Amino acid sequence: MKKEFTAVSLPTSLYREIEDAVRGTADPSVANYIAKVLRESLKKGGSTEEVFSPEDEEKVKDRLKALGYID
Amino acid sequence: MRKVLIIGLDSAPAEIVFDRRKEFPVLNRLIEGGRFGTMRSSDPPITIPAWMVMSTGKDAGRLGLYGFRHRTGPTYDKMWIATAQSINEPAIWDIIGQAGGQSVLVSVPPSYPARPVAGQRIGCFITPGADKDYTYPKELKAELEEKFGPYMFDVPFRIENRAEILREIYRMTEKRFEVLHYLMRTKPWNLFMFVEIGVDRVQHAFWKFHDKTHHLYEPGNAFETAIIDYYKFVDQKIGALLNEAGDDTVVLAISDHGAKRMKGAFCVNEWLIAQGDLVLGAAPARGANIEKTPIDWARTKAWGWGGYYARIFLNVEGREPKGIIKPADYEREREALAERLRSIRGPAGEPWATQVIKPNEYYDDARGDYPDLMVYFDDLYWRSAGTLGWGTMYLEENDTGPDDAVHAQHGMYILYDPRSKASVRKDIDITDVAPTVLRAIGLPIPADMKGTPLR
Ligand SMILES: [Zn+2]
Repeated sequence: MKKEFTAVSLPTSLYREIEDAVRGTADPSVANYIAKVLRESLKKGGSTEEVFSPEDEEKVKDRLKALGYID
Repeated sequence: MRKVLIIGLDSAPAEIVFDRRKEFPVLNRLIEGGRFGTMRSSDPPITIPAWMVMSTGKDAGRLGLYGFRHRTGPTYDKMWIATAQSINEPAIWDIIGQAGGQSVLVSVPPSYPARPVAGQRIGCFITPGADKDYTYPKELKAELEEKFGPYMFDVPFRIENRAEILREIYRMTEKRFEVLHYLMRTKPWNLFMFVEIGVDRVQHAFWKFHDKTHHLYEPGNAFETAIIDYYKFVDQKIGALLNEAGDDTVVLAISDHGAKRMKGAFCVNEWLIAQGDLVLGAAPARGANIEKTPIDWARTKAWGWGGYYARIFLNVEGREPKGIIKPADYEREREALAERLRSIRGPAGEPWATQVIKPNEYYDDARGDYPDLMVYFDDLYWRSAGTLGWGTMYLEENDTGPDDAVHAQHGMYILYDPRSKASVRKDIDITDVAPTVLRAIGLPIPADMKGTPLR
């Protein structure tokens, strides 16, 4: 798969700050860090919302297990 | 807007639909007048995300959906189950709705909760039960139940009694088509889409009885024709539905991935233990779940999850609560593990065609809770078992239930347009489907859909 990229401008001071923050982490790329934070903040609703009650969630998990989707 | 009917046959492989087409007169008629071929499914080729990759035209990375469950952040024991709420990209029915059109959607996974749509929607098999609100609009549930009784989302799979599973699959499909006929007659629609999950269930429950190359196949067994007989039954049902779909309706019969014989289950965590990557705090009981087993995190570098494919998580310092892999070593450790995974051999020492995916590199734009590695053991012929305490790495059968089939990367499609009949074979990618449907309906294709509409 070919990835496409585009460039944005940041204040150099902010860039340096992020650089310091990600240095020595699992992924020390400033671009990856910025992309990750932005994706988080763009996320609408999604997985954090309560869909299942705890009992229902167990019921669904057991079913998915029996079906082979999860273990 | 032209009308499009999408017939979702969950897990139907080309090896059955095309190779045995003479036994399915209705599907065969569509093949002989249409475009057809294999469809390369999503990565991973699993029901969730596959139907949504197909319906949104976005890959699994962009959807942030890598299966039915996901690890919640960098935790050891928290997970979330994908639901309809997890979808953040517009699907074809959203685009149709914006253009003023109507859709009828029946059991397209994931569709619980039944989110609002311009039209009607019925939940899929992740609906906890018929006591829930499983339709949009809400009142549709009572309208349907009054006529057809409670909807059947799935069949119970725990029972070892295969005859009973088979009876239930037929009962579910029979009921679904009653509902489909009713909706087709009484509701306005530009897009009518349903997924028959019974196809997947009959294959998982009866593959070893059907496939002569399966290691547990017994000649002359009582269920030898169970799968093909069910396809014939579904073929008839589709025929009756087509009679009501309208002469000018474009028909797309499609699966979300294929199916093939399961060679066995590979105990990924047993392997990680043998490799020294995973250290347990106590000896596991037979078949113990990894989440319920004490792990010596101070000495553990990686652990895995089971399913049709394996998810591997690394224990990284500063990310996991008790991580030990130094961030500076992450990429080297990950690549070394990937290389070891690729070189795993089968129980008789036979080489495997194992594929290892690094999600953050593989997807154009990986979002959400992806694992460090995704692994298809032997091109998916071996499912992944995350459970422990088996005393072996190779299980002949699934560790969690009766199951003889695994998913295959390629599903199939047949696109039948009554205005331009032709029998043309062309293989496509799953991301081509949404643009193809939009073009057939006569709507513009959003620029961020990467697939190509089929001509
Ligand atoms: Zn499926």
